[in-house]
Amino acid sequence: MKIFKSIKWRLQIWYGLILVVMLAGFGFTAYQLERGRVFGRIDDELHRRVGVLANALRRPPPRGQIGNGQPFDRPPPGQFPDNGPLGQNPRPPREFHLPPEDAHFFDTNDPNEFYYSISAGYGKIVWHSDNDPNYDIKFLLAMSVNGSLKLTHREIVNVLPSGEAIRVGCSIKPELHELKITALKLASFGGIILFIGLAGGWWLVARAIKPVEDISATAVKISAGDLSQRINVAEAESELGKLASVLNSTFARLDAAFAQQKQFASDAAHELRTPVSVMLTQTQTALNRERSPAEYRETLEACQRAAQRMRKLIGTLLELARLDAGQEQMRQLKFDLSQTARSCVELVRPIADEHGIKIHCELSTVDCVGDSERLAQVITNLLTNAIQYNKPGGEIRIAAQSRDGTAILTLSDTGVGIPAEDLPHVFKRFYRGDKSRTGGNTGLGLAISKAIVEAHGGAIEVSSEEDAGATFTVRLPVTS
Amino acid sequence: MRILIVEDEPDLLRSLAQALREEGYAVDTANNGEDGLFNAEGCDYDAIVLDVMLPKMDGWEILKRLRKTKKTPVLMLTARDQSRDRVRGLDTGADDYVVKPFDLSELFARLRALIRRCANKTTNVIELGDVKIDTAARNVLHKEKPVELTAREYALVEFIALHRGEVVTRTQLYEHLFDENESSLSNLLDVHVSNVRKKLGAEFITTRRGHGYCIE
Repeated sequence: MKIFKSIKWRLQIWYGLILVVMLAGFGFTAYQLERGRVFGRIDDELHRRVGVLANALRRPPPRGQIGNGQPFDRPPPGQFPDNGPLGQNPRPPREFHLPPEDAHFFDTNDPNEFYYSISAGYGKIVWHSDNDPNYDIKFLLAMSVNGSLKLTHREIVNVLPSGEAIRVGCSIKPELHELKITALKLASFGGIILFIGLAGGWWLVARAIKPVEDISATAVKISAGDLSQRINVAEAESELGKLASVLNSTFARLDAAFAQQKQFASDAAHELRTPVSVMLTQTQTALNRERSPAEYRETLEACQRAAQRMRKLIGTLLELARLDAGQEQMRQLKFDLSQTARSCVELVRPIADEHGIKIHCELSTVDCVGDSERLAQVITNLLTNAIQYNKPGGEIRIAAQSRDGTAILTLSDTGVGIPAEDLPHVFKRFYRGDKSRTGGNTGLGLAISKAIVEAHGGAIEVSSEEDAGATFTVRLPVTS
Repeated sequence: MRILIVEDEPDLLRSLAQALREEGYAVDTANNGEDGLFNAEGCDYDAIVLDVMLPKMDGWEILKRLRKTKKTPVLMLTARDQSRDRVRGLDTGADDYVVKPFDLSELFARLRALIRRCANKTTNVIELGDVKIDTAARNVLHKEKPVELTAREYALVEFIALHRGEVVTRTQLYEHLFDENESSLSNLLDVHVSNVRKKLGAEFITTRRGHGYCIE
């Protein structure tokens, strides 16, 4: 059932059950107390009258406390299963008179007042008041009566040491009526409290559940694709407020990651557009009319250049995607960082010579653990950048050293430097200082370098002053 | 018709220029923003093909500065195809927008439309008495018969026809028919004019001495 799956309803049902149990317990106790009070009063009266009758018989009162019998309730006359006359001719009753000063205890004409009977052994009644409805029953004492019988009288039987038994009783109809009204009052009072309690509970539960509903509504919108949605955090300090803040920051990070992916995909498509336009324009122009072999050759060469550019771009994109996904496993081998740096320098030296750029090495042995090939890629990339953005006849300084358990590789050039507004963005994908597409750069070199260094648990940073060159610093942990 | 192309990708620039020249346009090129703006400001082009991403100065900047002095129709060429980029381009004063990669035929059609709009013409066909010029098919009919014209002759006819009723100076004709690489041999223009008169009738182009040429 749907209702039992809703927290709101389940809370409400539990709450209602507890409330009902508590009210019932309270009502039952109150009823029992009231009943005890009412019957206690009657019992006191009965005991008192037993004492009066015992006195009247000029017998000593019962030993111990007045009355040794327990009061009990009796159904109305005529409803006993084996009710009937005693079947024996009672002896003519002995003259019994209540002393006048005690007459007010029994109004013998009123059937609702106290009545009594006195028997002399073996249950034979020798005297009874006129209003005694039960003088002719067989059993004086309490008996197990059928539970369906309505008990309307309360009696007490005391056997005196001399053998006479005194039985005093009264109708309890008014008391029963009074108790019935009390019970009704308690029930209706309980009902009102239950209703108010349930209504209040519903309000409380609804209030408590409201933030959860807000959260789920927002989550639904987000899962439908609107990542800009945020949960409204009204009470930041409450438990749900904290949850909402945590969820909000998660959503924000998701949003940023999605935006980055989207930007990356659109940038990648954008990068591929230019070489594709080159190929299209070249081929369409060439096909417009008959060309000389030399012209065809020129067209094919241009197409080849464009295709190679696309191949390079696709390779780089795939590499970045693998690094992003964490699929690219970095080997964990011991190697000397300075050795790697040295071989990279040798690799780019011909290009540096071409530009008239000198490379100075300050490389001391630094033992590192990682993938030397991938780190060589980083160093080569930094070196080619340093050559490309250097001034003719400039210098490049590369240094490797180990400090405080960190391998530090610094690479500085004497080039044009990086403008301050570009500095925070140089490691971003497709970011270029100048907005042109020339030079065969993909705009991904530094982004890949950063990804490789970070996959090694290291960090890469840059500092620069315009026209005073740039310095790249690579930090790698030296794990032994 | 003289066109300026500003594009930094050398292969694209070269083939675009070649294709447009073969279409009969006089073509100037620039491979960076500063040169592009310098050229655009210094000469009355019939249209400019302008790339957005350029070294030294980007296409937006060139457009903004150019619009202060000139109304030359500009066709933006860009790899960005998001609508906000297009809106930005058109708002900055670009007259049309082509997204890379494009088809040459589409680019040509857009250029023709741009030049036509600029000359306040609504169709591709210009009728001048017996002579009918179809600027899309680039052919000329004289008394319902096709006339063989060289590309340069056609360009001359089209340019004067687009400026019908105005006097077109020799300098204007030089600027619009020849690009910066061709030395302006002064009698070359006279040769073209006389050839056109032979093919379309002597009275087709009238000479205003000391001013230039005109089609009534």
